[in-house]
Formats: sequence, C-alpha cells, structure tokens
Amino acid sequence: MFDLGFRIWDLGLIGMKCRSVEWLMIFLVLTLAGSMLVACDRQQAEIPAVAEMRTMKDDLGRDVRLPEKVTRAVSLAPSITEMVFAAGAGDRLVGVTSYCDHPTAAKNIQKIGDTQSPNIEAIIAVRPEVILVSTASQLEAFASALEGQSAAVFVLDIRGLGDVADRLRRLGQIFSSGERAELAAIEFENRIAAVKRRPRAKRPARVLLQISEADLFTIGRDSFITELIERAGGMSVTADIPGGYPKLSKETALALDPEVIILSDSPDNLKPNDALRNSAAVRSGRVYRVNADILSRPGPRLADALEQLAALLRQEPTGN
Amino acid sequence: MKRANYIFLLLIAGLAAALVAAMLLGSERVSVFEMTEQGRAILFDIRIPRVLLGACVGASLALAGASLQALLRNPLAEPYLLGVSNGAALGTLLAFVLLGDVAGARPVMAFAGAAIATFAVYQMAKSRAGMNVERLVLSGVIITTFLSSIIVLLTSLLDAARLRGYTFWLLGDLSQATYNGFYLTLAAAAAGTIVLSSQARALNLMMIGERDAFDHGVEVGRVRIIIFGAASVLVGTSVAASGSVGYVGLIVPHIVRLVVGSDNRLVVPMSAIAGAIFVVLADTVARTAIAPRELPVGAITALIGAPLFIFLLRRN
Repeated sequence: MFDLGFRIWDLGLIGMKCRSVEWLMIFLVLTLAGSMLVACDRQQAEIPAVAEMRTMKDDLGRDVRLPEKVTRAVSLAPSITEMVFAAGAGDRLVGVTSYCDHPTAAKNIQKIGDTQSPNIEAIIAVRPEVILVSTASQLEAFASALEGQSAAVFVLDIRGLGDVADRLRRLGQIFSSGERAELAAIEFENRIAAVKRRPRAKRPARVLLQISEADLFTIGRDSFITELIERAGGMSVTADIPGGYPKLSKETALALDPEVIILSDSPDNLKPNDALRNSAAVRSGRVYRVNADILSRPGPRLADALEQLAALLRQEPTGN
Repeated sequence: MKRANYIFLLLIAGLAAALVAAMLLGSERVSVFEMTEQGRAILFDIRIPRVLLGACVGASLALAGASLQALLRNPLAEPYLLGVSNGAALGTLLAFVLLGDVAGARPVMAFAGAAIATFAVYQMAKSRAGMNVERLVLSGVIITTFLSSIIVLLTSLLDAARLRGYTFWLLGDLSQATYNGFYLTLAAAAAGTIVLSSQARALNLMMIGERDAFDHGVEVGRVRIIIFGAASVLVGTSVAASGSVGYVGLIVPHIVRLVVGSDNRLVVPMSAIAGAIFVVLADTVARTAIAPRELPVGAITALIGAPLFIFLLRRN
C-alpha cells in the first residue's frame, strides 16, 4: 500500500481493521478508474460524422446540433405531435406519447410512454436523431440520460397563439419541409386574423373557464387560454390570479358571477360547479362545452379553439 | 375534577371562537351587518358547511388517535400509522372508480376499507403469546405501505383528467364540503365521543396492563373490538368527506395529555374538542393564505404538526 508516513488506522478509526481499509482503497481506486473511462468514452462519443450536421437554436437558446436531413424524430407532447404533422413532417415521427391521438395517423406511431414519464429505453430503441420536448423540466430529465446517444434534444416551448406560426416554420426548417410548413403557418395566421376582423360585442363578456367541476380548477394569469379568451372577444374573470391552472375558491367563483362559463370537456367536468348555480351564465343559459384537447394543446388546433370560442361569445343569451 | 372543568369550559369557548373566526374569514369579504344575497350564499352555502365539516373531521380523527394510543399503549399509534386511513382512502378511491357518483358509496366504502385494514393489522399482530404492541405497529406499517402501493398503482392507471382532483383530495381537502357530508361526520363524531368515552375507564385500566385490566373485570377483547370498530367508522367518514388530513390524530391527543395527564375520561372527550379547533383553524389558513387560490388543509396540518411533534418528542 502507499506509504503515507503513518497508517490510516492510526488516525483513530477505532475498530476499522487493516483489511477493510485496504478494501476501501481498492474500491476507491476502481471507482476513480471507472469514472475516467466513462469520461474518455464520452469524449469519443462527441465526434460523429461532422459533415452533414448543422446547428439550430431551440427555445431555451441552446445551440442544438442536428443532422442536415432529419429522418427519425420523437415527440414528447401531443401539441408537438400535432405541430409536426401540420408542418408536413408527420411521416418522420418514429415515437410519440400515449396521449398523442391527433391526427389519426399519430395513433399508429410507436408509443414511448406519456409526457410526464416517458420511457427512455423505448425512446432509444426507436433510434431517433431528434427528440422534441416541450418544457425545460422535461429536458433536465433527458439531457443526462441521453448524453452519449446520438440523439439531439430540441426544446419547443410554445407559450400560446402567438408562437404557433413561428414554430411551424421552425419545424419546417428542422425537417426540411419548409413549403408545407409555410402554408400551414400562413393558414394559421389568416384564421387568427379573420377572427380579429369579425364584429364583436362592445363590452367583452366575462368568462369563467372551468377545467374540473368538483375541485374547480380554472385558468390563471400564466395560461395561454386567458389570451385565447381575450382574442375571442371575451375576458377571463380569473385573469389576475397567479399561476397557470389554479384551484379556485368556491366563494370567489360565486362572487365573480361570470356571464359565460366554458367547460373544458372531460368526464369530470360535465356541468358548472354548484357554487355557480345562480351565476348570470347559468341563469341565462350561457354554459358551453369545448373540446379539452383543442383548448389545452398549444398547437395548430388553437385556431379551431379560437374560432369556436369567438362563435360562442357572439351568441346571444338564450334566457330562461 | 375542578381544574378539568375549567379546561373543558376553556376548550368549548375556544371552539366557539375558532368557529366564529373561521366563519368570518374567507377568500371573499362578507359583511354580517349588510348581508347581500350573494354574501348570504357565500356564507351559508359554501363557508359554513365547510367550517362545520372541518370541526367534525378534526374531532373524529383526534378521537380515533386518542383511543388507539390508549388501547395500544403506544404514543405513535395513529390512524395513519396503523393503515386505517389508507384503508379508507383506498375504499374511497375504489368507490370513485367503480361506482362513480352513487350516493353514499364513498363513506360506506371508506368505512369498509378502514375496517378491513384494521382487521388485517389486528390479525397480523396476533400471535400465540397474545398481541404485542411492537408487532401491531409493525403490521400497521406493512399494511400502510402495501395499501399505498395499491393506491399509487390505481392512480397510475386512472386517466389524468380524473386524477387532478384526486391528488388534492389525497392530501386532505375540505373544499368539497356539503351539509350532507357534515351531518354524516357529525353523527359519527358524536356517536364516537359517547362510545369511546364510555370505554375510558376500561382504557385507563388497560394502560396499566392488560392482565391487570382483566383482573379488574375488563373484557379486554371486547374493548379492543369496540375501539377498533369506532376508530374505523370515525376515520372512514372523515376520509370519505375530506381525504387524508394528517397529524391530527397524533398531535392533538399528545397536547391534551400534556395539559390534563393521561386519564382517558378526560383525554378522549377533550381530544375531540381540541381536534375540532385544530382543523378549523388549519382550514382557515388553507382557505385564506393564497386566496383566491386554495391549499389542501392536510398540507397545513402537516406543516404545523410535524415540527410540533418533534418539539414534543424532544421535550419529553
């Protein structure tokens, strides 16, 4: 063993036998050697075929190295899957989440787990060149696990209506399907503009968007649906509440007295919460259901959501 | 008994004050003097049933905790530790998944879950040499973790939209209070107070030792079944109404014992009142701290309960 001028077991490590210290040293040395090997291995893995690579900035401002021609991609969010299809590159997707059910073709693509807990092994198994993720938190879980794999992780953070056309064009660049993507982006922009041109009520209707009936989850300041309602000619009564999707106090819901209630359509959200039974919206019959997927996925179908909301908010109270 | 009477009066006055304060505070201001129609709806349809339900849940959980601790002669005995709460939670979850909105399904299934969990723990703990307390607590831990894993499994299979509210509920949440839920927990808490108080003398003797209690004419087996049964009903109705509000059954009887000693004739009924005060105040914080958003009351009781418990442990 090393001669340190003293023996480790003289340092007062009472009860520790000479043999166990030696074993400890061997263990440490092996661990150190192992980690060096891993480090060397990583350095090697970073030198792939350089010629056909290019660099693009993702939504976190990271420079991501991508192949010139992306042929195999994985999407880790239903909204991103819809975006990729809209940008004309749906045939390039080799893995999607179990929630990715639109368009119909997405249902036949290999499932790699869900958005919250994707299966890393399943992702590696489909050999993607690019993994498209929607949030920074997802990235953290992946970056380390996928280091050394040749897949690039690209963050596509779509914050709302205003980002959709731009990200469609970006996807067109990634997948070299620029023309299709440009058409989709222009169509999206035209539909948004058309809603804006339509005549609307002088005073925006006061809207409560209810996500679940019993618990009264709703939309807050940070939700893109708040902006969607404004563009559709309404005004979210919960627009000032901090957070994206807060649980609203029933007392406040009652006091807010919304004129229109939009129910995000799901099995636990078939009617307004009991606290709203005497609200202006319920009394005048202005309670509407809207497909939860088009409302909640920041993708190309936000145009559908906007058009539907605008049409609903233009309707006159039926009265009763 | 004179000092005890004062403490009783003090507790009842404290409960009254807590109830009034809780009814005056909320995410919306309601003026009692100029009552609008809206104010009346907020107060009577939403706030008051919630405050009253909170009081009954607190009383029920503290009662169950106090009597289980005395019965098992273990200060850690608590509905959670013994798996009773998780049994009730699993029962409620099953009612939710299988039966949907069938009236009364949740409390009945919660009681069934609590009773089955209690029975399982009891059977596991029994050995040829009688029931020993370490075995019982260990069995409780095993049943608790086993039931937790089933709950996690079931919730992973549920679809995300239906789960959202359920995770809130699992932490203990009073926001879905109704008068019907209140009446049911009130009935359970009142019956529980009477039944458990009637066993207080027997519990006192059993705390000395089960052999001694037996020699004094206590039917030990029968007392056990009464306590386990009553605790199952109390925890079942509470969990069905408000999920798993933690630490109440642990912390409240401890504090009561610090003040009045270990005579169960005092500890059991006083715990009920003190538990009611604790949950009513904790829920007032949950309702107002980040209004108009809400916190689950279980987060508040744990936030207060855990450090308090550590403090008490170190003091003793």
